[in-house]
Amino acid sequence: MTAAITPPLLKIDNLRTYFYARSKHSFVRAVDGVSLEVGHSETVGVVGESGSGKSIAAMSVMGLISAGPGVIGGSIKFASHRVQKNLLEGLDKFVKVEEQHGRVMVVHKDDSGWQNASERIMGSLRGKEIAMIFQNPRASLNPYITVGEQLTEAIRLHTANKSPKESTERALYWLERVKIDSPRLRFDSYPSAMSGGMCQRAMIAMALSSEPSLLIADEPTTGLDATIQSKIVDLMEELKSETGISTLLISHDISVISRLADRVAVMYGGAVVEYGSAQLVLGEDASIKHPYTAALLASVPSEQKIRDKDNLQTIDGDVLDTINVPPGCRFFARCNQVTPEIKEKCATHHPDLREIAPGHQVRCWRFNG
Amino acid sequence: MKKYTQTSGEIGDFSQLPIWQKYALVDLLYVAYGLLIVALVLVSYVLGMFNLLPHDPQQINIELLMASPLSDGYLLGTDFLGRDILSRLIMGIQAYFLPGLLAISISLIVGVVLGVLSGYRGGRIETVIVYFTNLIDSFPRLVLILLVIAAFKPDIYYIMIVMGITGIPTVTTAIANKIRFLAQKSFIEAAIALGLRTRVIIMKHILWYNCRALLIIQATLGMGEAILLETSLSYLGFGVQEPVSSWGNMVQSGANYFLQGNFWPSTAPALAILFTILGFNLLGDGLNNILEDRRGR
Repeated sequence: MTAAITPPLLKIDNLRTYFYARSKHSFVRAVDGVSLEVGHSETVGVVGESGSGKSIAAMSVMGLISAGPGVIGGSIKFASHRVQKNLLEGLDKFVKVEEQHGRVMVVHKDDSGWQNASERIMGSLRGKEIAMIFQNPRASLNPYITVGEQLTEAIRLHTANKSPKESTERALYWLERVKIDSPRLRFDSYPSAMSGGMCQRAMIAMALSSEPSLLIADEPTTGLDATIQSKIVDLMEELKSETGISTLLISHDISVISRLADRVAVMYGGAVVEYGSAQLVLGEDASIKHPYTAALLASVPSEQKIRDKDNLQTIDGDVLDTINVPPGCRFFARCNQVTPEIKEKCATHHPDLREIAPGHQVRCWRFNG
Repeated sequence: MKKYTQTSGEIGDFSQLPIWQKYALVDLLYVAYGLLIVALVLVSYVLGMFNLLPHDPQQINIELLMASPLSDGYLLGTDFLGRDILSRLIMGIQAYFLPGLLAISISLIVGVVLGVLSGYRGGRIETVIVYFTNLIDSFPRLVLILLVIAAFKPDIYYIMIVMGITGIPTVTTAIANKIRFLAQKSFIEAAIALGLRTRVIIMKHILWYNCRALLIIQATLGMGEAILLETSLSYLGFGVQEPVSSWGNMVQSGANYFLQGNFWPSTAPALAILFTILGFNLLGDGLNNILEDRRGR
C-alpha cells in the first residue's frame, strides 16, 4: 500500500468535538476520539445511525462547527501534492480541558481566537483542496442566484479560468460532465426550477470544478428519491473512476457505502467501532465483526430475506446518549453477543480499537483477549 | 389566469421571454409609473440646478396675480404675488432632493453596517446595537426634529440628518433578522464550504442577492417619507423659508386664497406631492415584487 510510504491524504487522530447542552449542564460528546485515514484515490465510507457523530466529524474536518465548544482536540493531518498541513495546527492553545477521572468536566475555549486561527488554516483549503457536498441539495444552493453563476463563481475563485468567457465555458463543461441535461438551459436556471437530483449534480459540479484532492460527501443521497439516489451514486462511481479523487463518504445507507467505498468505518456513539476494507466490514462473515456492524447489516432488507418473508431485524434500544457515556463498552446496553466471560469487562472497561486481521480493526472485548 | 408557453421542441427558457410576459402587468405598471416620476424629478432637479426655468421663480409680477393656468406663457398660472407656479414647483425639488438622498443614505448605510454587525457577529456587539436602536426608537421623530430646530436653526439638512438617524433602527432590525435567518440556511454553510470569503458571502450572497429587495423598498419608502416630512415642516413654517420655494410652503401660502375660489396655487403643489410620493412608493412595491418573484420561477 502506498500509505506505508507516503502519508495518507487525510489522517484524523483522536478528534473530539463536544457540544454543550445548556439545559442539562453537560457535554454532548458528538465526536469522541475518532481516528480515521483516507488514502490517495481512496473512498472511505463512514456509516452509522443518526446521532453517531459521522456528520459532525466531517464538519469538524471542514472547520464548519459553529456551536460551542465544538472541536476541542485531536489532529487532522492533510497531505496532498500541493499542501501538507495539520488542520488543527496550533489550535490547542485556545482550548483548556479540565478532566477528572478521564471525564471532561470543564472546557475553556477562546472561541474567536480558535475561529480566527482555524480560518487562517482552512481559508486557502476550503473548496480548493477539500470540497464538500451536502445532504438536501436544494437547500445548499442559494435560491436567488442562477446555478450557472454559482458555478462560475466557484470556478473563478479556485481555478485559473478568471475571465467570464473561460469560466462560463468551464462551468458548462462541468454541467455536462455531471450529466445535467441541456446544460446551457440549466445554466440560467434558478435552483427552485430544478429537481433535487439536478441540484445535487450541480453541487457535485461545483465541488469538483476546483479539482480538489479530497471530497467530503455528507449524506449525498439523503433527501432524494430512490431512483435519483441510485443515479447520483452511479455518477459518483463514474467520477471516482475517472478522476481518482479521494472521498470521505458519510452515509447511513449501507447500500450506498457498499457500492462506493474501498474502506469502511462504522461509528457508534461518537467513536469508530470498526474500521477496515469494505469486503471485510460489510462482508458475510459475522464472526469477525463488531456486534453493532453485524446488527446493522442484519437490519438491511436483502432479497433473500424478502423472499423468505423473514421479519426485518432491529437493534433494540436507542442510540447512545452521549451525555452520559458509560464507563464500559458504549454498545454494551444493546449488544446481543455478550458472553458471561467478558460481561464484566464490557460493563466496566472501554475496549480499544484493535487490529484483528491486517487492515481490519474492531473495538470489542470479544477480540481482545 | 396562468399562461404556459413553449417556444420550440426544447423546453423554453424563461429568461428569453419578453419582459411583459415574465412579470405581472400591475407590477410593471407600478415600476413604469415610478420610473417616470423618478425621471421627472431628476430632470427637474437638474433644470432647477442650472436655472433653466420658464420664469424666475422669485420674480414678482404685480400685473398678473393669481393668473389661471395656461395664461400668457405661465403654464401652471401664477400665485398671489404673480410668481410662476411651474418654475416654483421645479425649484421646490431642490428643497427635498439632496436632503432626502442624504437622509436615506444615512439610514441605509449606517443601518446596513449595524445590521450586519449585529446579525453576523452577535454577542456583545449585538447587545450594544440593540440598545442603541431602541434608544433612537424611543424618541418620537417629530419631537426630535423640533428639538434640533430649536437648538440650531430650521435648516432642511439638519432635519434630514435627524430623519436619517431615526430611520436607522428599521433598517438595522430588518437586516439583522434577515442575516440571522439566512445564516442558519444550508446554502450559506455550503458557500463557506466552497471557500468563499466571509466578506463575499455577506456582501454578495446575503446583502446583494437576498436583501436588495428590502433595501430598495426602504430607499423608496424613505424618499417618499422625506418628501412628506420636508413638505409638512415647510407647510408649518419650520422647513424651507419664503421666498425660497418648497412644495410645502407653496401649499401653505396658496391655502389662504383657496376659499376665495383661487384653489389652483395650493392644489398644484399638493398634487405634485401626491403623485411624487405615490410614484416612489409604487416603484418600491413593484420592484420588490419583481425581484422577489424570480426565486419562485
